Amino acid sequence: MPNIYDGAVEVARRTMTLFFVVDASGSMDGSKMGTLNAAVEEVIPEIRKISGENADAAIKIAVLEFSSGARWITPAPMDAEDFTWSFLDADGLTDLGEACKALNEKLSRKAFMSDAAGSFAPAIFLLSDGEPTDDYKPELEKLKQNNWFRKAIKVAVAIGDDANRDVLGEFTGNKEAVLTVHTPEALAKMIRFVSVTASQIGSKSTGVGKGGVDEAANKQDEMVQKLGAVQETDIDDGDLEW
Amino acid sequence: MKHEFQNGDKIALRNGEEAKVVEKLGEGGQGAVYKVKIGIKEYALKWYHIGVIPNIKKFYKNLENNIAKGSPSDAFLWPLHLTEQAGGSFGYVMELRPDNYKEFSEFLLARVRFASLSAAVNASLNITNGFRELHRRGFSYQDLNDGNFFIDPLNGNVLICDNDNVAPYGENLGIAGKARYMAPEVVRNKKKPDVMTDRFSLTVVLFRLLFLDHPLEGKRVVESPCLTEELELKYYGKDPIFIYDKDDDSNRPVRGVHPNALRFWPLYPKFIREKFEFALSKDAMHGKIARPTDNDWQIAFTELRSSIVTCPCGGETFLDLSGDSLCVCCGMKIPKPPVLSLQGRYKVALFPEMKLYKCHTDRDSDDYKEIAGEVIRNPKQPTIWGLRNLSDTIWNVEYKDGTSKILSKGEVAVVTKIKQIQFPNGVGTVI
Repeated sequence: MPNIYDGAVEVARRTMTLFFVVDASGSMDGSKMGTLNAAVEEVIPEIRKISGENADAAIKIAVLEFSSGARWITPAPMDAEDFTWSFLDADGLTDLGEACKALNEKLSRKAFMSDAAGSFAPAIFLLSDGEPTDDYKPELEKLKQNNWFRKAIKVAVAIGDDANRDVLGEFTGNKEAVLTVHTPEALAKMIRFVSVTASQIGSKSTGVGKGGVDEAANKQDEMVQKLGAVQETDIDDGDLEW
Repeated sequence: MKHEFQNGDKIALRNGEEAKVVEKLGEGGQGAVYKVKIGIKEYALKWYHIGVIPNIKKFYKNLENNIAKGSPSDAFLWPLHLTEQAGGSFGYVMELRPDNYKEFSEFLLARVRFASLSAAVNASLNITNGFRELHRRGFSYQDLNDGNFFIDPLNGNVLICDNDNVAPYGENLGIAGKARYMAPEVVRNKKKPDVMTDRFSLTVVLFRLLFLDHPLEGKRVVESPCLTEELELKYYGKDPIFIYDKDDDSNRPVRGVHPNALRFWPLYPKFIREKFEFALSKDAMHGKIARPTDNDWQIAFTELRSSIVTCPCGGETFLDLSGDSLCVCCGMKIPKPPVLSLQGRYKVALFPEMKLYKCHTDRDSDDYKEIAGEVIRNPKQPTIWGLRNLSDTIWNVEYKDGTSKILSKGEVAVVTKIKQIQFPNGVGTVI
């Protein structure tokens, strides 16, 4: 029987890209990288589900690793639907400046952010265990001028005590968005929590601003608030060393 | 933070009974939903995440009141029992959703499609009526969005869920909803959600249901590569523009991006398009003129339903009640049939398979579900159509030739001969 609704197609959905920016320097070798690989691989199906059920936005995933230089694992953001995590190896230095440069290049409507139906601001998730080995400052400053970056939800996880929380705080824009973990369990838990929460907040239309009449909502604030709640209650990070 | 229940866990209810967890069904931002068993019957149980409810005491008390008042109609998956509070949170029990009901977002994602035009229009009518019943009982819904409905794609039957945010008029539970569905004044934080803001949200839901795109997202929204929180405030709050605004074409749907709106909008009858043009006009959005009421929409969709007929091609189409029509499926011309004008409120095309409902025949009724009559084909001479009385009342039919006929239940009058029908509490005139 002819039916006009047979011709209905999926509504225009915006894109929200979740960036994993992963420190793959030599010091990450062993259980850190092992835990990271396993934890991200496990959370991907959850992100796929959040994307699949969401009529506001589809989630894409992009992966950038940095060690001696920076390298995109995904040549372009991939639909969460099709994405599988390729296990990363750890070797080399901690060229955070190179990572900032690579991000800055791709955070543009001419590069990664080119979807016809438009995008929500991305969510950028940085994971690192050490001091930058390159002169990262000039590239980070340039990146901070990038509007996509400025509007992004940004969270960093410092793995162990060697990571420089101040540097990571410069990247996220506020220290509250930097979390420190000391155990594989805490790392795995945080990867899951941050990936899922950033995907949920980033891919949804916002609520009402908290600042009063005609004040916009702020997704980064919402994210930081959730991080605060989880840090206080959920993570039993003990005194275990890596 | 959240608490995970395991299968087999027991949750104490306020009434002293226990709900045994069967399995987890799903999870949202506010909480998780489990299938549970109370005695031998299965139900759904929603358990809130800790920290998501702004004022737990008030929220709990409100749910308690709603349970005591009972469901506004059978279209609601209404809270039935509260749980005891445990570990800083609590939940409530409701009926399970049958499998034939699909989430609204699945329609938007084209994973489920309406089986017919009637199903889509029935769904609009049922959602409208659900909210009308809710508002008539003094409640407001407060958080109306695409996550609140389950719809049967075959017939348009609707289940409204997430009724935990429902609150009496004037009350507000601190739930603000999603920008894409909130009234502009709520997005701007000038007002808390209430019945008036529900009306706006209902209009957005109805538009999305029928036209499968967003009424405020056209050209200018697509031209913003990054929809920041500031732009959301502008597009949904300070300066919203309807994609089919009569006087402002700056936000029209874009070919290739909004194919559903471009395809379905022109197929709908003018009176329905005008209803949306009015409801989403700048004046109505900014609250300068009153937004259409639930009853306005209910009458409009009841009339829309009365204009749907099956074309000889087998597809359903709308009939233009003022002239000839073209089938929306095959383009064939369908001549204007006799139209019955009822109580000055409704028009019904007297076309085979068309139904008369109680709201048509009784001027004091708004019952759009109880069938009062139907148009049938004569079994031996299918080109002759008749109107059959299916109600328990007696109709007095006045024919064009001056004669008249008393029509009891089951009896039929020839459509082309009818001039006027006297119902016990109403009148219908052929125009």
